[in-house]
Amino acid sequence: MTSVVSVDSLCVAYRSGGREVPVVREVSLEVAPGRTLALVGESGSGKSTVAATLLGHLRHGSRVTGGRVHVDGRDVFALPARELRQLRGGTVAMVAQNAGQALTPTMRIGRQIAEAGGEMPVVDLLDQVRLPRPAELARRYPHELSGGQQQRVAIAMAIAARPKVLVLDEPTTGLDVITQRGVLDLIAALRDELGLAAVLVSHDLGVVAHLADEVCVLNAGRVVEAAATRRLFTAPQDPYTKRLLASVPRLDDPGLAVVNEAGERTVRARAAVPDGAPVAVAASDVTVDYGSARAVHGVSFAVRRGEVLALVGESGSGKSTLAWTLAGLRTPSGGTMSHEAGDLGRPAPKRPLALRRRVQLVFQNADTSLNPRRSVGDAVSRPLRFFGTATGRTDADEQARRLISDVRLDPALADRLPAQLSGGQRQRIGIARALAGEPDVLIADEITTALDVSVQAEVLRLLDDLRRERDLACLFISHDLAVVRGVADRVVVLRRGVVVEEGPTEAVFGAPGHPYTRRLMAAALEPDPDAPGLPEDTPEWVDAAGTDGIWTDLGDGHRVRHWQPVNTPVAEGVS
Amino acid sequence: MTALDTTPATTAATPAGPHAVTRAWRALRSSRTALVGLAVVAVHILVALLAPLLTSYDPIAGDASQALLGPSPQHWAGTDQYGRDVLARVLYGGRYALGVSVAATLVTVALGTVVGCAAALRGGWFDDLLGRVLDAILSVPSILALLVVVTALGTGPAVIVLAIAVVYVPQVVRVVRGAALAVVPMDYVTAARARGESTWAILRREVLPNITDVVCVEFAMRASWVVLLISSLSFLGFGADPPTPDWGLMVAENRTAITVVPMASLAPIIALATLVVGLNLAADGLAKAWGVDRIREGS
Amino acid sequence: MLSFTLRRLASAVGTLFLSSVLVFLAVQALPGDVATQILGKDATPDAVAALRQQLGLDRPAWERYVDWIKGALHGDFGTSLVSGKGVGGEVAQYLGNSALIAFVTVLFAVTGSLVLGVLAGLYRDRWPDHLISTVSLVGMSVPEFVVATVLVLCFSVALPWFPAVVLYGPEAGVGQLLPAVWLPALALAVVMAAYIVRMARTSVIDVMAGEFVTTARLKGLSTWRIVTRHALPSALLPTLHVIALNVAWLAGGVAVVENVFNYPGIGKLMLSSVQNRDLPVIQAIALVSAVIYVVCNLAADLGAMALNPRLRTRGRTR
Repeated sequence: MTSVVSVDSLCVAYRSGGREVPVVREVSLEVAPGRTLALVGESGSGKSTVAATLLGHLRHGSRVTGGRVHVDGRDVFALPARELRQLRGGTVAMVAQNAGQALTPTMRIGRQIAEAGGEMPVVDLLDQVRLPRPAELARRYPHELSGGQQQRVAIAMAIAARPKVLVLDEPTTGLDVITQRGVLDLIAALRDELGLAAVLVSHDLGVVAHLADEVCVLNAGRVVEAAATRRLFTAPQDPYTKRLLASVPRLDDPGLAVVNEAGERTVRARAAVPDGAPVAVAASDVTVDYGSARAVHGVSFAVRRGEVLALVGESGSGKSTLAWTLAGLRTPSGGTMSHEAGDLGRPAPKRPLALRRRVQLVFQNADTSLNPRRSVGDAVSRPLRFFGTATGRTDADEQARRLISDVRLDPALADRLPAQLSGGQRQRIGIARALAGEPDVLIADEITTALDVSVQAEVLRLLDDLRRERDLACLFISHDLAVVRGVADRVVVLRRGVVVEEGPTEAVFGAPGHPYTRRLMAAALEPDPDAPGLPEDTPEWVDAAGTDGIWTDLGDGHRVRHWQPVNTPVAEGVS
Repeated sequence: MTALDTTPATTAATPAGPHAVTRAWRALRSSRTALVGLAVVAVHILVALLAPLLTSYDPIAGDASQALLGPSPQHWAGTDQYGRDVLARVLYGGRYALGVSVAATLVTVALGTVVGCAAALRGGWFDDLLGRVLDAILSVPSILALLVVVTALGTGPAVIVLAIAVVYVPQVVRVVRGAALAVVPMDYVTAARARGESTWAILRREVLPNITDVVCVEFAMRASWVVLLISSLSFLGFGADPPTPDWGLMVAENRTAITVVPMASLAPIIALATLVVGLNLAADGLAKAWGVDRIREGS
Repeated sequence: MLSFTLRRLASAVGTLFLSSVLVFLAVQALPGDVATQILGKDATPDAVAALRQQLGLDRPAWERYVDWIKGALHGDFGTSLVSGKGVGGEVAQYLGNSALIAFVTVLFAVTGSLVLGVLAGLYRDRWPDHLISTVSLVGMSVPEFVVATVLVLCFSVALPWFPAVVLYGPEAGVGQLLPAVWLPALALAVVMAAYIVRMARTSVIDVMAGEFVTTARLKGLSTWRIVTRHALPSALLPTLHVIALNVAWLAGGVAVVENVFNYPGIGKLMLSSVQNRDLPVIQAIALVSAVIYVVCNLAADLGAMALNPRLRTRGRTR
């Protein structure tokens, strides 16, 4: 036997309400030493369950209903407890999805790593995962580290006992794009250095293309396609795989990608903003503080009717704060924000009703944006009645149903509770609720972040349709550059509350002027195994605005904040 | 994509009806503990209501010639030192305990819910100040506060209800506030705020429906505490006035004769314990069925 | 860390101040003041007025409050209307006797209930859990006077091991009281343990379901190590506050049990002073209880700080 991991028609089911619900059906796969296999699928595909079985782990209430899992020649589910413990950590180790929660909060990280066994001193291990000042770091507690550092610690813990197989369960989900790139490069380097076999679980086809040798696509617990990475990405066979691949937005799409049932993708040209469209909302030199911390630092922008402006940045860039301030949920500490119908500087309760309804916010997380105890029809009809759009209860219900069908849902869903809808359906209801105020400004705060890629494509399409139909000014907030490329007319890049670059989408993506923008783009992973690596080394830079002006104007509204290179040695991508 | 999306979500494993009542009933049916607990409480309520039909003895008038008898066909649980039928007193005894407890718990939970929600929603100085005042009230032992109020204002049921409300409202406020604080940062509450809805409308439409389960569990839980407190008060001679039939009072009266007629003490003890066990089982079962046990334990 | 401690201390003092005001106001609101208590119902209004002036009761309330607090800070709570002795000394004496019970209770209840609670949590939904949970449910469903009565029946009447009632007064020595301590302490421990067991069980279940425990498992660690090193420190955090609340509850909770056993402790003093309307004593007991409550909570918070590195390292730079 040459493979170090072999799963043979594995079936797993969990008990729910007296019934056995299968989550993994007849899954078979093999991993050879030194190779990396990726398990790809959308939420609920069973990919994490399969990965955990390699360590003999099942979630509470689940059981193996058929098949076998062999790791290093041993039948994992037939091992006695003692040998299973030796297998875990010693032969196969796991890096969990969210290192922030996977590390014990009450133990110093040095001790947690030492506990994992192995002969390597902790300091050497921390050094090996490219963490700076390892001796000092070992004495810290998990909450004193950044997300990227926590993930590196988790990796150090996994490789401590020099296992043969590394299981990586969404190892970079939740990390910022630049941090993610650093962690992925580290994993690739360690894998080659130590000759590990790796099983990578991911929903992100960019990550998979970057790291995997072979790919196994799972859908509803079944393997729908398994192939070498390059073949899968260039010539997918299964319609599901085709749709999945086609749904991923690309950095070089000139417009929004539209995918049909067969998985063929066409790129829809962006709707042109009519000349002389009025400015719907404008912000000038806006500053927002949280206590003594400044979240947004003098940001200015304007959005015209029918235009989509994207605010792009990593977590902590202040982009969501800006959105919430515009929606009247925070009070700016400086600057002005105005709408053609009035001043937006005041919080929502103090704005006149007519102004309030014209600026509407769609939330990031569809799970928490709808009241779980009220029907979705009620969620839409409430603002209709509140804003006086509808005259009575029956009129409101009728209009609510019309709005629900406007967001391409069956109006019969109006009687359902949010829990009875899928994530994508809930997000559409969130959009319908925002439309109930008949707004002319729609603020979309990371509305597709929590969605699977195929659902994301549908929601983006809906948003694009709506702004055409309703001539909306749309402020689109996202951390995902590829998504922004498809929907936005103009882009504003934020870093720590400061705009570093802005301009028309084509101009910014075609010739990014600021090193930060360049680095963001370089770190974005394309779902293409042949995509070039880091195209150029972005220089280390410092902000140079102020001394002689703030902006370098590149024409056509494309401008870049002043910066200058510094000559310090480039640090490894440690976050 | 012109086709309408009608596919039901796979995540909707629990086909919850839109009405809170159906939901509550479904949760109840799934929890045997809660059902047993509520059944015990229901039996107690029935017995208290139907006491005159269940026994022909007067719970108050005694017959000195029949004092301190053991269990017999005439007196199933024997008689006490004044010759009163113990069973009759136990059956009638539930009236006082249940009546006062239910009234006191209702007042306490209602008040606590309103104040707790308001504190969670308003936040800021109001929440801070309230927290301090509640802490100060909690720092005085509840039994001492109760004793002082009762000696000053008398032992009437209305006084006891009010005194218990003062003593237990802070604890209810804490629990409800905790539950409401989990709801307040939700985006649907934020959406209502962004619409400019009034605090009261947000409370009623968005917050309250999401904490009904916590409030119900709190009610059952708090009722068990109140029953215990009232019986302790009676036991100490500060609650029900003799000769009112009351379980705590009965234990106090018959304790000295426990070696002679053990049933006279044991019968009220059993009645009291089953009622409180019933309430606790109901609270436990409901909490587990609704998944709110975590919020509650911390109180 | 230091700032956290200081802030917590300041807040404790604030709460104490509020409690003292509350206690003072509540006693003021009671019908009849000290003068009417001393002279009885039949006293002439003139006599009452004269005594009022003599006792300084005609001065504004805030002045009397300041006097009371000033005295209290030096241990002077006035004189008892019943015994005529200094309230401070009297309360201290009874309190000392109660402390004996409280010490034994806390020792057994806390250690026992933590062990049982953790066991129940680890064996969730199996027989040890069912057994422990059922017993603790019964424990919290039975009032203290019932537990006490049953204990007397078993260990004083049926098996004459312990005294059923205490025959000594408050001035009894530790040696005289010691045999009488065990039954009251046991009765209190049963009630107290029930709550701690339940809390410990819940938080152990919570923590054991956490991702970091799964990670520790998948590292191949032994169950013992996972529980003691990874789970328990986090699981004990929420339990600490419940322990503190229960210890503070003892201040009032002893009233019923001490009454059953005729034990000369603070609870007995509380009852008799309420019966005799001995206002200075009531005020003093309320204030002392408030101090106990605040100190217990403060201890829990500081304990939480010791267990939780997030609190401990706050303010340290990344």
